[in-house]
Amino acid sequence: MNRTLSSIGKKLIQYGLVFLVALTINFALPRLAPGDPLLYFFGDTINELTEVQKQQALESIGLDGSLWEQYIVYLQGIVTFDFGVSIKYAEPVMTIIGDRLPWTLLLVGPAMLLSAVIGVILGAYSAWNRGKGRDVSLLIGMLTLQAVPGFWVGLLFLAVLAVQLGWFPTYGAFSMMQDGTTWGYIKDVAVHAILPLATITLATVGSNYLLTRSSMLESLGQDYITMAEAKGVHKKELIFNHALRNALLPIFTHFTMTLGTLVGGAVVVESVFSYPGIGRLLYESVIARDFPMMQGIFLIITLGVIGANLFADLTYPLIDPRARTLKKTKGADMNHA
Amino acid sequence: MYKGIKKLWGLPLILLVFLVAGCSSNEAKGQADETNLEGEGAVTEQVAELKVGIPSDVGPLNIYTGNVDWLTDLVYDKLFSPSPYVDEPIPWLAESAEQLDDTTWIVKVRDGIKWHDGEDFTAEDVKFTYEYFRDGSANRHTHHVSEVPKIDEIEVEEDGKTVRFECAYACPSLASITFADLPILPEHIWKDVENPRQYNKLAVGTGPFVLKEYEADQYYKFKANNEYFMGEPTVASINMPIIKDATAMFNALRAGEIDASTRTVPAELQDSFKNTDAMKLAKVSPLSIVQFGLNYERKPFNTEEVRRAVSLAIDRQSIVDTVLLGQGRAGLTGYPHPDSPWTNPDLSTPYDTAKATEILDSLGYKDTNNDGFRETPEGETLRMNTIVSASEPVYVRVAEMLKEQLKDIGLQFEVEAMDATTYAAANSEDNFDTYVSLIGPHGVADPDQFIMSHRASYLWTKDIAYPAMDTLIEDWMAASTIEDRKAISFDMQELYNNQPTAIALYYPEEVFAYNATVYDQYVESLGYGIVHKYSFLPEETRQAVSATAPKFVE
Repeated sequence: MNRTLSSIGKKLIQYGLVFLVALTINFALPRLAPGDPLLYFFGDTINELTEVQKQQALESIGLDGSLWEQYIVYLQGIVTFDFGVSIKYAEPVMTIIGDRLPWTLLLVGPAMLLSAVIGVILGAYSAWNRGKGRDVSLLIGMLTLQAVPGFWVGLLFLAVLAVQLGWFPTYGAFSMMQDGTTWGYIKDVAVHAILPLATITLATVGSNYLLTRSSMLESLGQDYITMAEAKGVHKKELIFNHALRNALLPIFTHFTMTLGTLVGGAVVVESVFSYPGIGRLLYESVIARDFPMMQGIFLIITLGVIGANLFADLTYPLIDPRARTLKKTKGADMNHA
Repeated sequence: MYKGIKKLWGLPLILLVFLVAGCSSNEAKGQADETNLEGEGAVTEQVAELKVGIPSDVGPLNIYTGNVDWLTDLVYDKLFSPSPYVDEPIPWLAESAEQLDDTTWIVKVRDGIKWHDGEDFTAEDVKFTYEYFRDGSANRHTHHVSEVPKIDEIEVEEDGKTVRFECAYACPSLASITFADLPILPEHIWKDVENPRQYNKLAVGTGPFVLKEYEADQYYKFKANNEYFMGEPTVASINMPIIKDATAMFNALRAGEIDASTRTVPAELQDSFKNTDAMKLAKVSPLSIVQFGLNYERKPFNTEEVRRAVSLAIDRQSIVDTVLLGQGRAGLTGYPHPDSPWTNPDLSTPYDTAKATEILDSLGYKDTNNDGFRETPEGETLRMNTIVSASEPVYVRVAEMLKEQLKDIGLQFEVEAMDATTYAAANSEDNFDTYVSLIGPHGVADPDQFIMSHRASYLWTKDIAYPAMDTLIEDWMAASTIEDRKAISFDMQELYNNQPTAIALYYPEEVFAYNATVYDQYVESLGYGIVHKYSFLPEETRQAVSATAPKFVE
């Protein structure tokens, strides 16, 4: 038991170190890019400022200290959960992220689930029917989806379903004019979310499908499948219980990894649909060289990725009994020693 | 085999999607006709709601952090209106203004005006704003009180409604430029603002529209200020969604989700708006110049003859025809903008490659190693870059064309397209040989700014002697009438265009699409386009500020 705890402890220290390095990179990256927030404020007229005025302006946005001083302030901020004030929006970074994150989660969360479920089912179906017409057409279809850029699918949806047919709104996450009822609001938000959600789903379903298909093909080639088939196991059970369960391992890893990027949002799709998510916020902040805002978003993404890794690490043994037994045996050996 | 093909049901589906995509833009037109035929006859009554899509977010209209004049002017007023870009701005928050001597002005402010929060507007607000601009943090307006011109003293006289301005040197155009440029801020709010750049409350002004709501990157909501001293606004509320993507913006306009957009419709898209009854395409002069800037601190552009040769070698008309499909005017009359009343009408910047070649030859720039490009008189390779922002694809193409044109006189250029902020950084750090960019009304139509541009490093810098121009600037500062100043300005402009540091390539035109059945009373105010407060004020007010009906693309 103690051994397990210490191995968890080791893992935590490991993750802590990764986190610290990531934090430093998050601090350094925005500052390595040419330009600073003043350019955003002043544009071409920046040349009209004297040195004193420039210094004054930097002071007013907290960027007058040395890099080292700024770094210390940044680290202190993280420890005390004070992530600073956005230069562009002049509001606390966490307030803005708090406003935007739900929108991103609303889009990217369901889209990723949908894309995984559809991808896995179609991939399994395709693998089972390998070489037949339905496999080939699915494969071609999915490869095409994989190759088509997401923004293009989004633009297509907009041109046809929103502009031409008028079924969906063309921009935003909700209408500027509300009827005031909760139900009306929910409906409004749902209608606004459908197209971007469908776009992200379509843009990502291809990779899930391809991964499942190849993983399934490998499983289906194994001796135990032939054995099960010979035993007369029902087709459905064979696909889902015997083959897919084993094929799911790489898919699960892939899925948990993408979970980490969930909070990073979908920059392109959010831009095409003028959706107020984290991805667009990040893009805007990069353009404005809004250092505190970028640091805040990077922090969230870092936490997301590290969290997803930790989650994968901890849950992998649950779905792969081999990882479980390996650890147990190892642990038992050590106890004996 | 046949069976296999039959089962490829996914393929036709994909083909269908592609086909529909191809047809979509054509069929979208018919729909707008049907949906937008309501709402006519709204000429005298107040229109209830207008939805105007805007392409960028400028924050809660804090003039220190976001600067889009037409937008901030919905909320704020100036002493004179509409802008320094017209011949004679008229008194606005001011009731009258009078020049007592070369350096003294008195302004009477209007009575009975209230700020949007209910407080009274007074002469003290004017004094406060001008001092705040002069002594505090810099913004794009501040040089109009702190340097060109320079106002030493601002006092409110005993009657409480007269403000006296005392300039450091002659200031004949204080009313027509400074008064028409500086938005007046409420003292009771801004006196407590220590750091104007971090001020994030909604703007409170005296203007015809009250900013009710602002959601970053999403929208603005304005309500009419029905007590407005220049007349009740013609629209009760204006909602402005922020739509950054160009395609999304025009889609929303076609779908009828917005009634107008302040993003210019590119030439290739105009046809898709022309064939509907509801849509109108207004063509306006944005008072801007797309320029080819030269680094006058670096070789070879620190030599005035080289700058002249480059200007002579540029075929501006062919740039307009090729890159803009003719939408725009070639910069044949140079800098500043020809539509500005402050610009010398007799300027010209000819295209003459023979003369350009002659100049370079005589300076000793010759192709000694026969690689097709000239070397410096010292025999060194001469290779220059043109930096340009990658977010402006049109300018990238302009830069490519310039590269080709200048090759003809033996000059070698590399075009470097870079991310917008990287570009801005390179530009502000003087880390370039040449650049292509746009400069707006304040830069190219405001005569005081022309002087400022020669002091603050954009067109020249105080730190480098420029005897011919320096003498003219001294004369200009000494001149005490607008006429004298104008005459000297004209000479300066001629001198400038003879050895330009930023070469005017073309004067862009903007085309705005709007749904005329929802609102059709837009007027053009030079440099402001068609969406600005004057478009939403009563007829007589519009005439008074010399706003005119826009031209339409037929």
